[in-house]
Amino acid sequence: MPTETTPDRIAVHGIEVEVLRCGAGAPVLFLHGFQPAAPDARFLELLGRRLQVIAPSHPGFGNTPRPKDFESVYDLLHLYTQLIEALGHPRISLIGASFGGWLAAELALRMPSRIGRLVLVDALGIKVSDRETPDILDIFNVHPDTVRAATWHDPRNAPDYDAMEDAELIALHRSREALSLYGWHPYMHHPRLAYWLPAIKAPTQVLWGASDGIVKPGYGQAMARLILGARYAEIAAAGHHPEIEQPDAFADHVIGFLAR
Amino acid sequence: MDAWWQCEIPYPYVDKRITDAADSVRASLPNRLCDPRIAANLFHEVLDEFALCDELGMNVLCIEHHAGINSLIGSNPMITGILARQTRNVRVLSLGTLISLRPDPVRVAEEYATADCLLRGRFEIGFVKSGGTEVASSNMQPVNNEERFWEAIDLIKKTLTSHDGPFSWEGKHYTHRHVNIWPGPYQQPHPRMWAATGDPRSAAEVGRRGMTHVLVLRGPEGTKKAYEAHRTARREAGLPKVTTDNFAYAAMVYVGETEEEGIEGGTKLLWFLNTSLKSAPQYNKFLPGAAPPQAAPGLYRTMPRAEAGLALTDAEKGVAPASQNAQKLMGLTAQEAMQQGILFAGTPDSVHRQIMEFYDKVGGFGHLCLIGRSGYMTHEESKKGIRLFSKEVLPRLREVAPVEVG
Repeated sequence: MPTETTPDRIAVHGIEVEVLRCGAGAPVLFLHGFQPAAPDARFLELLGRRLQVIAPSHPGFGNTPRPKDFESVYDLLHLYTQLIEALGHPRISLIGASFGGWLAAELALRMPSRIGRLVLVDALGIKVSDRETPDILDIFNVHPDTVRAATWHDPRNAPDYDAMEDAELIALHRSREALSLYGWHPYMHHPRLAYWLPAIKAPTQVLWGASDGIVKPGYGQAMARLILGARYAEIAAAGHHPEIEQPDAFADHVIGFLAR
Repeated sequence: MDAWWQCEIPYPYVDKRITDAADSVRASLPNRLCDPRIAANLFHEVLDEFALCDELGMNVLCIEHHAGINSLIGSNPMITGILARQTRNVRVLSLGTLISLRPDPVRVAEEYATADCLLRGRFEIGFVKSGGTEVASSNMQPVNNEERFWEAIDLIKKTLTSHDGPFSWEGKHYTHRHVNIWPGPYQQPHPRMWAATGDPRSAAEVGRRGMTHVLVLRGPEGTKKAYEAHRTARREAGLPKVTTDNFAYAAMVYVGETEEEGIEGGTKLLWFLNTSLKSAPQYNKFLPGAAPPQAAPGLYRTMPRAEAGLALTDAEKGVAPASQNAQKLMGLTAQEAMQQGILFAGTPDSVHRQIMEFYDKVGGFGHLCLIGRSGYMTHEESKKGIRLFSKEVLPRLREVAPVEVG
């Protein structure tokens, strides 16, 4: 039976955070990457069949305001710590995709007694290779065609700017500004996070799009090796967004791990 | 009116097939395409041209740009330092170290105080906001570039004007707990400060701060609008009226003995627009902070919509983004550039007339900044243009005294 995705707002420290809610069951917070989850995203509906999904838009993304000087991952981590407290579930699981994976890993370290399970999807946040080998494609400083090719297994899944409405394009660029503030320097990672990953207590599933060119599967494997007991799986025919390119396989993996 | 000569020291000697094929001639073009021996010749030629200006009584200014064929002056303080020692008479303007790209404004203040001492007070400090490709080559956050710009100016000014031992600065972008430079500036309280900016919001801030306001290649309408925003902001803040001495305009200028020679020289300067502005979409239209989000429909779509969505002029800043300005400038001919007030070229009489027509259109200005050598213009051609301008045009401009503008 299809589940309905409904928009909502949760006030956290004076910030009206836009959230999508979907389904019923064990609570799970979905932390998005470069763009917030779309209200009609199939993966939300699929997850909602077995889980209670709460998908917020980070400040500056979607319709969530970004207060003046709210510009850092430090701010985001305080926001989500408060939001998790406000939701009130004794335990909640986290799905962190891309940039949101960095936040999810940090939150699992900060709130070990509140975070049930952790799913990291093509997650950013750590430094793996040597100092002259970038792990994460610089989406701001390389040609947009290169970024598109690296992001999608099938480039036809990329957003079509010509087909998008003004408001959607404005929101897209606003998200890009916010992402730039949060992740410009050091680029999309914290130099010390890899050191702390082994301290994550939550059972962890690392999922990776086999064709991801933003962060390659080898990065995901390294991340999984750093988290004790973490499981690693690749999703075929998917790039940086397996939740969009292969929503069914994605949901099967997530539900298999979270709802068993 | 005063005149200030400059050359950005461009490097045009890259095969056109390479620049045509490259998506950007800045930030990402490999520096193996720049022969350091040719660069050395260019540096020495242009420094000699600056020295000629000094001899002829024309002020000089030095810019800074990074990592591209448009300019080899990546280190403004080095060239400024050389000018500080090699000039004897004229004033030297640094326009300037790109402060929002430098991590420590205190160090910039230290360099500027040193330059002012070397020049025994013949020094002026200019600030330029930067952005685009230079954000990539400097690794600096683009979205709050302008915030850093103003905070850096505040910290530099405080550093130059503090003489009673260390002070502490804990701002949003800069922290420096022990600021106490030696020496301080030669001029008290500090050298005159300039800022180059065109959008109404920062033009207003330049006005409130009483800085000399320079517009670069903006043409009469954009320039007039920015000067007006400057004056309006002062009026609204209850600040005294200023004179035309607070306003400056930077254009490409070449003077020849004949109209044809002048326009031929002017045409060579257009290389700057036709070749050196080329920059990839990630450095201009998609760069966060380069344009307000409201401009996104016009920037992202490959096929503009008939209804156009939100017009660019409705955007937050009220101006077209830098990428659109660049697009307009890239295809210009000399005649078009002259009509648009971004090139003054011809005989001394003709150039003087063009400058004064522009002066009248924008409500007056006290400083003309000459982009005087660019592209394939030779050292000899450049020196000839400098001589003719200094001897035949500059004396007439000097007769234009500052007038109060409110």
